[in-house]
Amino acid sequence: MTRSYYWLILGLSIPAFLWLLPTLWMVSLSFQPNEVLARTTSSTFFGLVPLPFTAENYSALFAFGQTPWWFLNSLIVSVGMTLGVLAVSTTAGYALARLDFPFKTPLTIICLIGLMVPEQAVFIPLYTMFADFGWHNSYHALILPRMAVPIGVFLMLQFFRAIPKDIEEAARLDGVGWLQIFWYIMLPLARPAMMTLAILTFLYAWNDYLWPLVSAQQREYFTITLGLASIQSNFAQSEGLGRVMASGVIASLPVVILFLIFQRYVVQAMTAGGSKG
Amino acid sequence: MQDLKASKKRMSQTQAAWLLLAPFLLTYGLFLVYPFFRGFWISLHDWNLLAVAFNPDAKEFIGLRNYERVMWGRNIEWGFASPFWQGLGVLGLAASAYLRRVDRLSRFNAIALGVASLLLVVLPGFHPGEEGRWYDRRFWPTVGNTLLFVALAVPGVTISALFLAAALNGETRAMGVLRTLFFLSQVLSVTVVTLIWQIMFSPRQGLIANITETFGGIPINWLTDEQFAMAAIVIATIWWSLGIAMILFLAGLQDISKDIYEAAALDNAKGVKAFWFVTLPNLQRTITLVVVLQIILHFQVFGQSHLMTQGGPNDTTQVLVRYIYQTGFRDSELGRASAMAVFLFVIMGTFSVIQFIIGREKE
Amino acid sequence: MKHVLLSAAAAATITTGAFAQEITLGRFFGACEDAGTDTTVSTGEACIIQSIINAADAELDGISINTLPTDWGNYYDQIKAAYAGGTPPDVHVMHRHRIPEFAGLGALAEISGDLEAAGIDPNDWSPAALDAVSFNGGIYGVPMDFHANLWHVNMDVMEEAGLVENGQPVLPSSPEELLAHAQQVKDATGKDYLAADFAQFPIGVRLVLALMWQQNANIFTEDGTATINTEAGKNAVTAITQLFDASLANPQLNYADSQQAFLNGEAAILVNGTWVVDFYTAEAAKEEVGLDNYYVADFPTLFETGATWADSHMWAIPSTLEGDKKMAALKVLAFINDHNIDWARTGHMAVRTSVVESEAYTSLPHRDEYTGTAAIAKDTPPSERYGAIQDVLNRELQAIWLTGKPVEDALSDAELEVQDLLDR
Repeated sequence: MTRSYYWLILGLSIPAFLWLLPTLWMVSLSFQPNEVLARTTSSTFFGLVPLPFTAENYSALFAFGQTPWWFLNSLIVSVGMTLGVLAVSTTAGYALARLDFPFKTPLTIICLIGLMVPEQAVFIPLYTMFADFGWHNSYHALILPRMAVPIGVFLMLQFFRAIPKDIEEAARLDGVGWLQIFWYIMLPLARPAMMTLAILTFLYAWNDYLWPLVSAQQREYFTITLGLASIQSNFAQSEGLGRVMASGVIASLPVVILFLIFQRYVVQAMTAGGSKG
Repeated sequence: MQDLKASKKRMSQTQAAWLLLAPFLLTYGLFLVYPFFRGFWISLHDWNLLAVAFNPDAKEFIGLRNYERVMWGRNIEWGFASPFWQGLGVLGLAASAYLRRVDRLSRFNAIALGVASLLLVVLPGFHPGEEGRWYDRRFWPTVGNTLLFVALAVPGVTISALFLAAALNGETRAMGVLRTLFFLSQVLSVTVVTLIWQIMFSPRQGLIANITETFGGIPINWLTDEQFAMAAIVIATIWWSLGIAMILFLAGLQDISKDIYEAAALDNAKGVKAFWFVTLPNLQRTITLVVVLQIILHFQVFGQSHLMTQGGPNDTTQVLVRYIYQTGFRDSELGRASAMAVFLFVIMGTFSVIQFIIGREKE
Repeated sequence: MKHVLLSAAAAATITTGAFAQEITLGRFFGACEDAGTDTTVSTGEACIIQSIINAADAELDGISINTLPTDWGNYYDQIKAAYAGGTPPDVHVMHRHRIPEFAGLGALAEISGDLEAAGIDPNDWSPAALDAVSFNGGIYGVPMDFHANLWHVNMDVMEEAGLVENGQPVLPSSPEELLAHAQQVKDATGKDYLAADFAQFPIGVRLVLALMWQQNANIFTEDGTATINTEAGKNAVTAITQLFDASLANPQLNYADSQQAFLNGEAAILVNGTWVVDFYTAEAAKEEVGLDNYYVADFPTLFETGATWADSHMWAIPSTLEGDKKMAALKVLAFINDHNIDWARTGHMAVRTSVVESEAYTSLPHRDEYTGTAAIAKDTPPSERYGAIQDVLNRELQAIWLTGKPVEDALSDAELEVQDLLDR
């Protein structure tokens, strides 16, 4: 390692620390008593050190809070959406990339032209449509609309196109059917791309706000984004900053942990996908 | 392998293709294509959310009136009303013509730049004349705010993510840790992000204000000062969405073979020079992808504006999606809101086409 | 022991479960998750209303209540979306000014015939309260309060500036005096005279509205003509902007920040509603809070006639509700009606004559300091577009005090837009 390397790491540590600061602050505030926070948020070292310390915000949250429930809903919706998007995107992407059939080109264009339609441009008709079906306040109402977005098909199509033809041809010569090729050969190859798509979709689902806002009005189907929005706008009047911050931490912690465990695999998968493609 | 063989030719290629396409086509048709046309249909009606829900016949077909009410006005004239933007457009036109002549720009790019510049000359020129006014005074400023947000957030995210990715493209543990730190905020949900930054920016409780005051400064009212409100939600957005761009760039960097750098090093191109002459040109496809994703993402900004500033102060952070949401669900005017949604689609579609053309060219 | 408790709980669930009506309840006021079931102890709107709801859930036989969480900003959007989607809450709170919009479309149940059976006596409601829930000759809800803008006063700051007489704050009686008092406070204490949420929620709008009403003007007439760009409008706005121009008040504070400024003792006056009286009383009692000597005053009359912005919270049920479910919902309304005194603890004015005249009510902290408010309470004429009109005013007023837009331009723009809304 050269000296310039250490300078680089040192130089980047400062912005990285600044980057982490807001999150640290949220965590620190969540461990301070609400009575103190009502007066000042910078008790000890700008409030970055949780002194005076209390864990009361968390115990109250678990005793009375809906945050765990909202969290569970977000998880159900996000996982459901990710699996759904993976299923429809890999199949469609494979068919459009590797198979030959009548109207293939126009169909590809039709499928991908949907990329131009932002979902925020269709949420009103979707809302009226789901209202007509009586589908609002359900998990499928929260999951289904995203499965129609062709970004996944686009990504998988690109990936499958990059795979050399001879792999498939060898299998065909052995007389393997198309579905088997897809399932036994293509899907394993596509793991890195699927991982990318899964991460993109999961993050999207986790962060989605507008559609749940119009579709879910009942507590049973509140996602964490909705739940937190419902308590943050009037923290000044109600339970106090510390409690709200604790909800924020609880909402984030499991995803952050998941990501930290997962991250190595994410990068490896992307690297592998890159070098093979 | 035996059972694979056994099943051969049970299904033709065409059948297999349709079978595999069916799930996507079904959801796509039902939840995107159909709603898209239905949205257009709603936009042709005077459609009150509550009234139509209680009585399906309470809607009235009014043709393109909603579009007129949203986008047009009384005594609208055209002229050089906005010297800055229109001037920029003229410059853009000249630049595209010149660059094309000296062959620094391909035909597609020249056309794209030309069309964009032309729009810049034409569109800001419309303004209400004597005694005239826009029917909806908020619509165009809202579109402007949204464009401003995109124009600030997309380069902000793309450039910082690119430099971070280039700097952190190494296998060492320290780099891994730093990458993680920068990516971490990406997994937070929009409401957590706005929660954090709402307090961060508070002039009385905020970390920024606390630090400013300690050093004798006067805290800025970030979210309620019209000069800073947009900057505030852009900062929160960059903080939030840098990670995924960085990851995509890192993946792109892995694609550039070491040989190219070695060859470049022989030509004495190292460090910044290598980044400029080797990394950037080889990353163009990834950059395009990242920019497309970011534009699409940020044009649809809603949560940051809705939760941090409520579109204020004085509408300076009011963005298009929030206006659509408000028009539809607060003012109950679904027809009008749908007309705006169609407009959103047209803009986004234009961006997609331009980006698609540029992206294809580079390949 | 644990087992005994568990099986007792299970038995209770089973016995009531057979008949239990689950009532979904929509409300704003903020979250209070550990409110308990004692309606007489909590502080603040969120916790008091939740304690009443929890008590109803516990005490009403065969009724369990599921409170839907909704944030303030999206409340009406969500309620509307729920109605349009066919899944409205069985009971929900709303403002009186929203009745034309909701009842006009047939969304709300007309309940004048059901009140007696549910045990609600409408004759106990004050005439103004009955008027608040009436629309086109019917009754569309159960009123819960009147709330109005008050002047919350820090007496120590006022004292320092020499603005206290006989233990009462000396408040201005004209725009000129307002400026003079503000200058007096600044000179004596270096503090701002007046703080309010001018930058986010519509407290600033309500301030201007009150000042217009005080000149016997209004933002639009009953027949639907916008009258904002008028002499009265200008007077009202400049009465406030003169404070900003002289740096005697800060227009950039939002709700939370203005409240914090007041509680820290950094402003002599906070303009805010009745809903915070108990909260500020509790805060003022705390050693470490800057505000020590808290006083509540009626909104002062700066022009000819006394007026302050006011509204009512009321509870309504959807017109689609039928049978037992409707009866259960009505019982919840009755329970809330019965606890009018608890709700009044927030600082809101009660709607039931029997409560208003009770000792428990008159002896509430600071209650005797703003008895004049009920008489000067006022609101804009009814309109289906109340929300949108308020939003127009909020934007244009913010444009004046946050971005320096000329008053005349802002008022004429506001007038045009409000006229558009009224004509639609």
